[in-house]
Order: sequence, then C-alpha cells, then structure tokens
Amino acid sequence: MLKETVEAWVRWLPTTSLAVFMHGRWEWPIMESIHFLGLSLLIGAIGLFDLRLLGLGRQIPISYLHRLIPWGIAGYVINVLSGICFFTAETDQYIYNPSFQLKILSMSVAGLNVLVFYTTMFRRVRTLGPGENASMPARIIGGVSLVCWLSVIACGRLLTFFRPPSFHWCPWC
Amino acid sequence: MHFTAWLESTDLSIWLRESPSLFAFPFVLIVHAWGMGFLAGSNAALDLRIIGFAPRVSLSTMERFYPVMWFGFIINAISGVLLLISYPTKALTNPVFYLKIGCIAAGMVMMVKIRDRVVRNPAFDTAAVPMNGKILAAISLFLWASAITSGRFLAYTCKYLIAGTRC
Repeated sequence: MLKETVEAWVRWLPTTSLAVFMHGRWEWPIMESIHFLGLSLLIGAIGLFDLRLLGLGRQIPISYLHRLIPWGIAGYVINVLSGICFFTAETDQYIYNPSFQLKILSMSVAGLNVLVFYTTMFRRVRTLGPGENASMPARIIGGVSLVCWLSVIACGRLLTFFRPPSFHWCPWC
Repeated sequence: MHFTAWLESTDLSIWLRESPSLFAFPFVLIVHAWGMGFLAGSNAALDLRIIGFAPRVSLSTMERFYPVMWFGFIINAISGVLLLISYPTKALTNPVFYLKIGCIAAGMVMMVKIRDRVVRNPAFDTAAVPMNGKILAAISLFLWASAITSGRFLAYTCKYLIAGTRC
C-alpha cells in the first residue's frame, strides 16, 4: 500500500510545473546556493548556541544568544523549501537514496532533541548569565544538536554518491 | 597548463579523485561544507548582530566566536587545497574559481577589520553600531554569500574536468 503510494508520488512529482522549473539552465545551482546559504545561517545561529551550551563563549548570557535563534529557524525554513524543490524535481533520486534517508533520520533526531530542550529545561537554561556553565543534560542536548546538524550536512554532501539505481534502499517495500 | 597536468598525475591527486573510499573525495567535500557552515555562519551571525538584530547580545562577548571562524577557515583552507589537488585543471581554468577565492580573501580581511573597528570598540558594546560599521557588516554578508554561490556554480561552469578532458 505504502509502496504503491510512494511509487505514485515518484511518478507524479517530477511532472509538476515546479519540477519543470527546476530543470531550467541555472535553476538547480541557484537553488543549491540558496540551500547552502540556509545551511550557513542554521549553523551560525543554532551551532553557536549549541557551542555555548557546551561551554564555548561562556561570557555570553544564554538569553542574549538565544535572540539569534530566529535566524537559525529562517535558515531551516529556507532549506526545507529549497529541499522540497530538489525532491520534487528528482523524487526517485532522493526517496530510495540511503544518504537521503539518513539525512531525514538525523533531522528527526534533531527535531526531537529541540522538543526535549524546550519542554524540559529551557526555562532554567535561559537564566544562565555570564560565566555560568550549562547543566550536564543541557550540554548533552547541545552536543546531540551539533552532531545531528553536522550529520545532516554530511548526508547531504553524500547524496550524489548513493544515487539510485546503483543504490536502492526501500525499508517500506 | 603543464603544471596542473603534472599535479593530476601525483599519487595524492589520483587517490583523492579515483578512490572508491568515502574517506577520499566525499569526506573532503563533507569537511568543506562543515567548515563553510562554521566560517560563513558565524560571520553571518556577527554581521546580523552589527546590522541591528539581537541588539542585546553584547558585541565584545561575540569576539569569543572568532576561534570558531578561524577553525572553519583553517579546515576549509586544508580541505580546499585537497579539492584543488583533486581537480586542479578544472578549478584553475574556471574564472568562477578566482571569483570565489577573491570573495573569501576579502571576507577574511573584513572579518579582521570588523573585529578591530567594531567588535573591540567598547562604545558599541551594547549601543547601536553607527552606519559605517553596519556597512562593513553588510559587505561581509555579501562577500560570504558570493563565496558560497560561486562555490556552487563552480560545479556547473567548468571547461575541463582534467587536462585534455572537457566537462
């Protein structure tokens, strides 16, 4: 059932006007550039916040640094949207690609990690002032976040080396 | 272009280019993307702060993220040289490559200028940065965005893959 649904999407998405648009002369590299800019924004805001949780730049109060987080979220949104463009244009090259599946898995772990951070410890962590260390659980959250996003980048760069039909992962088949 | 043809015949170049190991070319690409995130990303965060976002973040404390930028720069200089050794003709025959290097060099100069003139100026620590400081930050943002964009376009504008072989 799921297998057939996915196959229908794999056939349909590349016929949409968005897919046609993506196959123009320069659309793909332009969208890739936007994707890399979004990546940098995400690492520049969320990565630095993670490093602060891990102990770097301790003189910066957490609540101040947290004001950069909207830029990280902006980078994330930019990358989900540009990512959808690639996915729509070449659906089969992503959906069955082991590297893409690991990329989505890393993003999911990062998402869960964010959820745990904001529901269990953010209210305490945000009061940390200059020179104050984050608690061990908060450090772990920061470390997991950093590792997840670095893994997302690594999987993204590896996509091209694990393309179907040479590689074909289909856990739902 | 005898030099690049010779470079392509070295063991290191051949290994980087042709080894099926993920620790050859793919790993260098990954490290280069990580470094980009740290270098361009932390610069963007600092530039955006100077332009006026997150104004309550004390500027002087943001100097503590300069080691992150230098770390990004160093791993990207190393991985960049390895990428260049892998495909020297491809890079050196493409004008976009020189544009990219120019943007990075200018971006690094701006990074130091911004530290000396803006970040280390106690008058701007928590107050608004005057227009000329904001212009430096805007130029820096533009340079990093251009470096990233030209890096991406390198793959789509090459003339030669290796000496004697067109893309």
